[in-house]
Amino acid sequence: MGKIIFFGGKGGVGKTSCSTAYAIGLSQKGLKTLLVSTDPAHSISDLFSEPIGSEVKLLSENLYGIEINPEEESRLYINKVRMDLKKIMSPIIMEDLNKQLDAAIVSPGSHESALFDKMVTLIIDENESFDRIVFDTAPTGHTVRLLSLPELLGGWIESLMSKRKKTISLKNMIGRNREEEDPILTILSRRKENLEKARRIMMDEDQLEFAFVLNAERMPIQETKKAVELLRHYKIKVSTLVVNKILPEAAEDEFWRHKKLKEREYLKEIKEGIQADHIFEIPLFQEDMTENTICHMANFFSEKL
Amino acid sequence: MNALKEFFINLGLFFQGAFDMQQRSRGHIENEANDIMDQFMILCFGDYLGIDLPTSYYALELLPYLAEDLENWQSRMTDKKSIWEEKGAKLDMDP
Repeated sequence: MGKIIFFGGKGGVGKTSCSTAYAIGLSQKGLKTLLVSTDPAHSISDLFSEPIGSEVKLLSENLYGIEINPEEESRLYINKVRMDLKKIMSPIIMEDLNKQLDAAIVSPGSHESALFDKMVTLIIDENESFDRIVFDTAPTGHTVRLLSLPELLGGWIESLMSKRKKTISLKNMIGRNREEEDPILTILSRRKENLEKARRIMMDEDQLEFAFVLNAERMPIQETKKAVELLRHYKIKVSTLVVNKILPEAAEDEFWRHKKLKEREYLKEIKEGIQADHIFEIPLFQEDMTENTICHMANFFSEKL
Repeated sequence: MNALKEFFINLGLFFQGAFDMQQRSRGHIENEANDIMDQFMILCFGDYLGIDLPTSYYALELLPYLAEDLENWQSRMTDKKSIWEEKGAKLDMDP
């Protein structure tokens, strides 16, 4: 069992419910667990019917939650840049830069980067204080992009650092360099250090694992197969499958009998076609997803954890 | 002996004056440094020139240290003529 568990899966299969129930299950086993929501709709606040927010908050015994708000994170970061700029730039240039910065705050690219930044910080900072960290992540494509970012960013930072060092040494040769310590290199090396720490954790098979949520239906199975293949390419193990919304046995009419029959075939396909250490089967619940239903759901996990 | 020494010093000064080696190599080094700096700026703020970079968000925190150069760099990069002038000047046609 890894320390950090990412929940992935096609939209609508029940990722948030399953990751929350899974986290509750872990906490009931006595493991200090942090549940991280990256969903801007704040659905875990709704599940627990209390606001959670962007600070780690105690939800129940051994269970903590945090909701990352990508827009808020990118606003914080960009406004810090803005404050630093104001100290040195003339108001005329500032006006021009302000427009650029305002555009950056609302760009989807920024939100993704801010989300990734916050996830890296959480993994580095909270790794020691929790037994398990459960990430309720975005749809599959997004997650894979997120995991490939350290590699991309790592290369970018290294290239920047080598160019910066070369410029400094050339300027030293002609006596054009006055500063002792270069603030740009300081920032870049700090970022590089953090990325490497996060990459070490994320690439460690014993630390990070993936859980895929799917339904016993054709499309989610196809997508899960593709995603598992893709993650294997990044050497990330998919250890857990959660088959959610399994239909009840006692089906009366023809429609549901047929559906149930199909579902059995798909379940067989999942078990034979996708390699995983654990497969959890979660029934379809009669009630909506409230705290009660989630706790009921958690029992299906804690039995086998 | 002294006359000979003086002659060589003067000879040295003559060549230095004629070919301006030191000044020119300084110029070369400076050009090289500026070139690398331009590449650095493109990697950071390429999106200001319309190049979509997935890393632009992370470059923003460098902006306070580079903003002074940014405006100049941006107008140089978007002004084709000045790039050609620059490259032409580097060929250094003077004897």
